Amino acid sequence: MKKIIQQLSVINYQLHVYCLLFIVTCCLSSCTKVINIDLNSANPDIVVDAEVTDSATSYTVNLTQTVNFSDNNVFPAVDGAIVIISDNAGNSNILTETVQGSGNYVTSNLRGVDGRTYYLSILSKGQKYTATSTMPYGVPLDSVIADTGSTQHHGGGFGGGGYGGGSTAPSVTVRAVFTDPKGIVNYYRLIEYVNNVPNYNTISIISDQGQDGSQISENVVRRDTSIHTGDTVKVILESIDANVYEYYRTLKQVTKAQTGIQTTVPGNPTTNLTNNALGFFSAYAVRSKYVIAP
Amino acid sequence: MRKIIPFVLSLLFISSYRLASQNKYTISGYVKDVKSGEQLIGATLVVKELPATGTTANAYGFYSLTLPEGKYTLSAQFTGYQTKPEVIELNKSTKLDFALSDAETELNEVVVTDEKRDQNITQTQMGMDKLDIQQIKNIPVIFGEKDVLKTLQLLPGVKSAGDGSSGFYVRGGNTSQNLILLDEATVYNASHLLGFFSVFNSDAIKDVTLYKGTHPAEFGGRLSSVLDIKMKDGNDQKFHVSGGIGIIASRLALEGPIKKGRGSFLLAARRTYADAVLKAITTNPELKHISLYFYDINLKASYRLNDKNRVYLSGYFGKDDLGTSSNFGLNYGNATGTFRLNHLFSDKLFSNTSLIFTNYDYKITTSFGANSLDIISRIQDYGLKQDFQYFLNAKNKIKFGLSSTWHKLIPGSITTDSNSPLSKRGVPNKYALENAIYISHEVKATDKFSFEYGARLTSFSLFGPGTFYTYNAVDSLTDSAKYTQSQIVKTYINLQPRAAFNYILNAKSSIKGNYARNTQYMHLLQNTTSGNPTDLWIPSSNNVKPELCDQVSVGYFRNFLDNMFETSIETYYKQMQNQIDYVNGAQLTLNANVESQLLYGIGRAYGVELFIKKKYGRFNGWLGYTLSRTERKINGINNDTWYAATQDITHYLTAVGIFEINKKWTASANFIYYTGNAVTFPSGKYEVNGQVVFYYTERNGYRMPAYNRLDIGFTYQAKKTEKFESSWNFSCYNAYGRENPYSITFQVNPNNPQQTQAVLTYLFRWVPSVTYNFRF
Repeated sequence: MKKIIQQLSVINYQLHVYCLLFIVTCCLSSCTKVINIDLNSANPDIVVDAEVTDSATSYTVNLTQTVNFSDNNVFPAVDGAIVIISDNAGNSNILTETVQGSGNYVTSNLRGVDGRTYYLSILSKGQKYTATSTMPYGVPLDSVIADTGSTQHHGGGFGGGGYGGGSTAPSVTVRAVFTDPKGIVNYYRLIEYVNNVPNYNTISIISDQGQDGSQISENVVRRDTSIHTGDTVKVILESIDANVYEYYRTLKQVTKAQTGIQTTVPGNPTTNLTNNALGFFSAYAVRSKYVIAP
Repeated sequence: MRKIIPFVLSLLFISSYRLASQNKYTISGYVKDVKSGEQLIGATLVVKELPATGTTANAYGFYSLTLPEGKYTLSAQFTGYQTKPEVIELNKSTKLDFALSDAETELNEVVVTDEKRDQNITQTQMGMDKLDIQQIKNIPVIFGEKDVLKTLQLLPGVKSAGDGSSGFYVRGGNTSQNLILLDEATVYNASHLLGFFSVFNSDAIKDVTLYKGTHPAEFGGRLSSVLDIKMKDGNDQKFHVSGGIGIIASRLALEGPIKKGRGSFLLAARRTYADAVLKAITTNPELKHISLYFYDINLKASYRLNDKNRVYLSGYFGKDDLGTSSNFGLNYGNATGTFRLNHLFSDKLFSNTSLIFTNYDYKITTSFGANSLDIISRIQDYGLKQDFQYFLNAKNKIKFGLSSTWHKLIPGSITTDSNSPLSKRGVPNKYALENAIYISHEVKATDKFSFEYGARLTSFSLFGPGTFYTYNAVDSLTDSAKYTQSQIVKTYINLQPRAAFNYILNAKSSIKGNYARNTQYMHLLQNTTSGNPTDLWIPSSNNVKPELCDQVSVGYFRNFLDNMFETSIETYYKQMQNQIDYVNGAQLTLNANVESQLLYGIGRAYGVELFIKKKYGRFNGWLGYTLSRTERKINGINNDTWYAATQDITHYLTAVGIFEINKKWTASANFIYYTGNAVTFPSGKYEVNGQVVFYYTERNGYRMPAYNRLDIGFTYQAKKTEKFESSWNFSCYNAYGRENPYSITFQVNPNNPQQTQAVLTYLFRWVPSVTYNFRF
């Protein structure tokens, strides 16, 4: 089901691109221009980027602030906050800021364990922000398959990076195959590392709704990286909880609006943080596999 | 309802009692065009001796007038036609048909009076626009394709949903709150090529009437307007061919008698060749393989069986095809069909029975690697409508009837290759039954005062089979229940009263008032401002309540210089309930739980519409201005406070001018200016996971830049004889090349990743076009 939705969003995207191309070519002049627009300035709000996994030994909470649209993409760190992560097994850890003023807070002796619920608490400038995330049990990958993509080269594809970019269509498609545990609700996120470089540009998320207990085979959607023969491709399968899935899903909808398709409902993604904080807190289980591109 | 029926009956009794003492007889018949035999809808029947009586011909050109015995001078009047009074000695019930000839030709006829009509003053109906199909021909439009929907947007109270959209907003309603009827069949998507054209081929259209929420009780089903479009019946005297050749589309229409004077047919077709043009001029290899076209066919046939019975068959079929050579295709279109039987039970009781079918569907074909996938979505209506018009006497007219429609909705069904790993699950089908009964009574109380009141009682039932969920908040399921086939999930019943009055102050001016309640049971979910063919219609359900709207409007109408100028001021206030909006990042397509993505609230809209029209002379045209506001208060948006709806457009100004330079050349121009609609823009930005994300503080807190545009056109009448007519139309859309915004998006500056920028997309600068039209 969700697969279809992803595909459909690609289709909608194509539709618009299509429509625009038609117009560009039909009409005598070009059709986009950069404009100055007077946007209100907003009071700075806190942005939380926090995670707990079952693989690493220490976890980072990154605190920054929003800036005005016209400002440079430099996001001030929020320092001096009290950040605590605890779990439902009675463990609790006060995070320390790695470098004073960096806004990066790390755990010292906390281990992420599948099935446990984690609580994040932040106290900054007199405001308290909290979030809860339950780490699902990890689901192993059955295999990661790299398909050489002669079938991917279509005569008239407008998809993916074709619009506004001018990048080439990917030559290799990587597919993750895993078996969804039956009888429980699962959500996943896929991340691809090509030669150890992660690709966060697209969000690959999967829900088992409509395919509970089945073997799922999912292409890792890619927008602007291409894989070449001999590249090492690592695919990470994150098992995420429902709220984090909802965060990524709405983030995806919102960023889609940013890439050229105007929707009537742009907005902030749904977060599991309280007190109007932006960002999210995710406790997730990690499984991964490698493949060498043929 | 229980109170209304006795009231109606008592009024009927009183009015018939008053006239019972005199001998009275009925004159009835049809009003038609002498040359084509087309019935003239809404022609006015005037009795010279009794200026306060009179009536109008109905949608089939039929009229009936009951008068006391006597000698009368009766005439039928219709804009652009000559009036020929008939003197009649009324001492028995009489049939009298009027065959009018248009004012341009046959000027050598003996008795000619081109009456300057003042129907806008005398009729009770307000909040109504009627398009003059003859006039449309001269108004410049994009690509030279004359278009009723685009022309409607030049009238006050009707607003454009932007370049590249056939959608329109009426008095603060959104594009889905308009009921668009083509010969009584609902048209669910009125746009071709994603909105650049409307589905209505003006060669096949006789009458276009828009009711801005003030429609009489026989119509219903949408909140803000009814657009009633009627096809031509075809010429029942002579066979004709007409057509046009344009730069991206051509048209051809055939019409003629099935049996002279008894039956006629019309067949009109259109086809674009935008893709052929595109392929010829493009250098982009990707565009060499695309398909991009639409076609549509209108068919109508009518036949008079005898004096009492007449049958009509109308059909529309249209298809859009967009696609790349191999991996993506979208086709969509409407099909409608109506079979109608007119029957005269007596010279006072007119009946029409309609069987109506409508279908809208789209199909998306894609391939992913070696696998292909088709998504089909469809909405179908099967309807029966029975209308009666009872012309009781010169002062009373009663309309009543019923309708019943079965809706079948297939939101998304998916088919794949047999061995495909892609999911085959679609979204379950929905079934609903919509019924209505109505009655309305039109009374000419005195010479000066007339009124109409009525009510429409509607019911809507959602049927199983399926599992129906109840949501109390976003994405939170509280309950679910399973229903079998033909089991009712939920039924809504609504009474919609209406009332209108007209008080004629003097021969030149009148005051009118109107109140109407409207209900809408079918809702369109749209998450782009311009609309997509893939937007989803959903029925009212256990979660989605019927939309309700109460509108009060008052207007002052005044004509100047012997009806040369028509002016009006209309104001309205609307309150809406159960309005629908969406959560942030709503997932509307192919979502079985789409109702979890919706938010509900109330709305209000108010405004004033000014209109000045010069109806006659070498120069004619109009000026319209609307000042208005539309707001919503939705639980869960902007802290539950009032905010501007997307279609909130403060100022809307239009001007249309048509000037006949000489017998050969006609020049025309239209100008449009409006405030940008309300939009959501970011107020800041932040970074998560190395990605810049925009920060939004409120919904619809910003405005698009104001829109303005001038179009000019020239028509050259090359040849005009009885046998052959031809003309050239030259036009330029957006004559001063204004870059009107289609959308504004925000992105990281590709040349400087440290910065973000706003990018404006506009669709058209100058669009010149040439069309050659002919008729023989």
